[in-house]
Amino acid sequence: MHDVAMISLESQPAPPPKRPPRRGLGRFTLDIRQTISPWKQAGILGGSLAIGLAISVVILDLAGIAPLDLAKELAGVFNANSLRSVLVRAAPLILVGLGAGLAFRIGFWNLGLEGQMVFGGIFATAVSIYNIGPESTRIVVMGIAASAGGILWVLLAYWMKVRFRVNEIISTLLMNYIASYFLLHLLYGAWQDSKTAFPQSSQYRPFERLSDIGSGVNSALLVALAVAAVAAWAVHLSRAGFYMRFISANANMAKVVGVPVRTISLVVIAASGAAAGLAGFVNVTSQEGRLTQSFFDGYVFSGILIAFLSRNDPIVVVIVGFLLAVLFVTGQTLQVFYQIPFTMVQLVEAIIVIAVASSEFLIRHRVRWTR
Amino acid sequence: MTPALELTGIKKSFDGVIALDGAVFAAKSGEVHALLGENGAGKSSLMNIAAGFYVPDTGTVAIHGEAVALSGPADARARGIGMVHQHFKLVKPFTVAENILLANPRRHFRSGIRDIRDGVREQAAQLGFDIDPDRRVEDLTVAEQQQVEIIKVLLGGAKILILDEPTAVLTDVEAERLLETVRRLAQSGVAVVLVTHKLHEVKRYADAVTIMRGGRTVATADPRVASAAELTELTVGQTAPLPDRTERPLGTTLLNVGALHCARSDGQVMVADTSFFVRAGEIYGLAGVSGNGQAELAEALIGARQPLSGEIWLEGPGDIGAAPAAIRREAGLAAIPADRYAFALAGSLSIADNFAVATIESGCYGPPWLIDRAAIRRDASEAITAYDVQGVRSVGQKAALLSGGNAQKLVIAREFSRQPTVVVAHSPSRGLDVRACAAVHERLLAARDRGAAVVLISEDLDEILALSDRIGVMTRGRIVAEFNRPADRQEIGRAMVDHA
Repeated sequence: MHDVAMISLESQPAPPPKRPPRRGLGRFTLDIRQTISPWKQAGILGGSLAIGLAISVVILDLAGIAPLDLAKELAGVFNANSLRSVLVRAAPLILVGLGAGLAFRIGFWNLGLEGQMVFGGIFATAVSIYNIGPESTRIVVMGIAASAGGILWVLLAYWMKVRFRVNEIISTLLMNYIASYFLLHLLYGAWQDSKTAFPQSSQYRPFERLSDIGSGVNSALLVALAVAAVAAWAVHLSRAGFYMRFISANANMAKVVGVPVRTISLVVIAASGAAAGLAGFVNVTSQEGRLTQSFFDGYVFSGILIAFLSRNDPIVVVIVGFLLAVLFVTGQTLQVFYQIPFTMVQLVEAIIVIAVASSEFLIRHRVRWTR
Repeated sequence: MTPALELTGIKKSFDGVIALDGAVFAAKSGEVHALLGENGAGKSSLMNIAAGFYVPDTGTVAIHGEAVALSGPADARARGIGMVHQHFKLVKPFTVAENILLANPRRHFRSGIRDIRDGVREQAAQLGFDIDPDRRVEDLTVAEQQQVEIIKVLLGGAKILILDEPTAVLTDVEAERLLETVRRLAQSGVAVVLVTHKLHEVKRYADAVTIMRGGRTVATADPRVASAAELTELTVGQTAPLPDRTERPLGTTLLNVGALHCARSDGQVMVADTSFFVRAGEIYGLAGVSGNGQAELAEALIGARQPLSGEIWLEGPGDIGAAPAAIRREAGLAAIPADRYAFALAGSLSIADNFAVATIESGCYGPPWLIDRAAIRRDASEAITAYDVQGVRSVGQKAALLSGGNAQKLVIAREFSRQPTVVVAHSPSRGLDVRACAAVHERLLAARDRGAAVVLISEDLDEILALSDRIGVMTRGRIVAEFNRPADRQEIGRAMVDHA
């Protein structure tokens, strides 16, 4: 009880000592909540989100997009064609969101999602170029190779952390650049498309691509949902998920009570890299159809954003990943038809992040009005 | 004479848990007024209300007879109330003068610092403190930091000084000096409130004592008139009897520590060539002045610190010095570390999870792919009742919300729920009140009677003498002497000092 800090705020500036206090106005008191029901938490979160969206609507209105037009554009996302591109975009977003969320859960700040995507793409493409495995299972082998690429790239950073105490925020972030230059080295060199002479790999063959599975849904989405389901199970139901909470809450204590900290960390970090590698894999095999220079651009920020908004919960990651895809696709339409700059889309993203971040305060504290 | 500080009918609840239920308190200028009570009796909460940190739900605060509604700590400070908290509120990389300036703002930084510096020197001289205003707080000892807090409050013009458990962090000599100073302050006209649960301090240094229990004020007395037994009974309610010791035949050696060396994180070797053994059914007490390697030894034993060299041999797995803690756990080692929130509890997680984490690996809460939350909750609730952990509304509540004594009981509930064969306890009763302390001792003795080997590392010689079958004295990282029960207090004391 003694450690509960408490602050009381006067609705007016504190009165000078000699005068009697202004009782009439009452005051706000803040205390720290000890428990909160999930419904209340969801309500606060939803309210903040609504405020963030309202602010975004006003800003877009000022930029020349009337709220009605905006609503029309948003509704337009749900026609078959746009929905298809939303679902295609959602798959890699969900995967990087999972990659970030898993690592963040045990306090490993994996900012190297792009580098791991790059290696995922490179490994998958290598399988294609060197014709590894029979055609019927080629796509599966590519997926496994992509996961291995992501794992390799993230474990390198983890190894440096354990062996040399290199902070992973720095190592993972900088390794993004190494990965992207290594990619350019391949695309301008050995793997350059001989037909077009563009710096990209040659087109994958049809059996090396993630196909549509009817009604415009690409199997990339299935990959993402499957990984999300496994992650959700691991986090919420398994013993490893139970241990993960202790590792992030108090690693020293976890060690002393016998939690296998090293093993769990290793597996979770590897899973994070694998998810990012798979994000690279679905991107090159469903959207691009070949290894390009920029298939990973911007996914670090999106991944962190999704993990943050979803509080590292794999189930919520799926929803947020989908919503972010809607935002991106709508943003593209708005850019084309209303000539707004892409920064507007980023602005909306940022406003929503700030709104959700602020809701944390109300979830942790209770504000009361007393007279 | 009107009281300098008067609190009447104070009620306060935190998110539904009642902390204060009609508490009353009054302190006069010029007296040291002790506020006595067990952990969780509401002493700190009541004083936090007086200092403006909490707003009471009902009740009034009056200063020199005038009812006030404090809007916050700054308001309280402006009205002459200053509080020194148990956990100091100092910015470590700042100098003493800068810290004091932060609490007592001046219009200009440069002239302000000059002014403060002079003030600190003057105030320190008056109180007999030796504080250099230009030293950084992180370079000061705990006692010196506390002096800085007191100077900070007094320079702020405090006429009512509240000290929350000021001696908890001090050695006996430092505590005595502090309390002498406090007495002199009171003689100069300050009203001093001394929050404590140490009876001897109340008897020696207080002019009046108010006793709290369960959020209520139960009595106000003159400590020079009331007997210690009376005061204890008022504090505790009913006194807990000391558990009986039964003599038991000793079993085989369960733990053997051989030529152990451990270093502190900065590289300094703190445990140098320590060897001892503990048999089944025996409590081995390790006495010594704090800072002689006990902390590092305890951490090595529980698996929080890798030893440099030497052996920690456990019946069953053998030498486990370098092995992960999980192996010790499987072999039946229970750990009660001195710093609960560093090595025993994850404060941000629930009581139920904290209870289950040490045993879940055995499969008692479901297979690896599916944990049985209902079973965890059920067992945690049962353990909480069995071990008398109080202040729990639901086992889903965060462990950090438990008071010190109850957090310790939770740790003990977890560690003893599996019938340990070896127990390592480091200062298990530090910061606990009489009753919680007795409960802990009872558990340690029960473990011994069941045939466990218990290592009790403590700086409290009374605790060591009351519980141990054999006592080792640790000085400069070595065991310099060993005594069998009944041991002579004087001889142990000499061994502690002679080799220092």
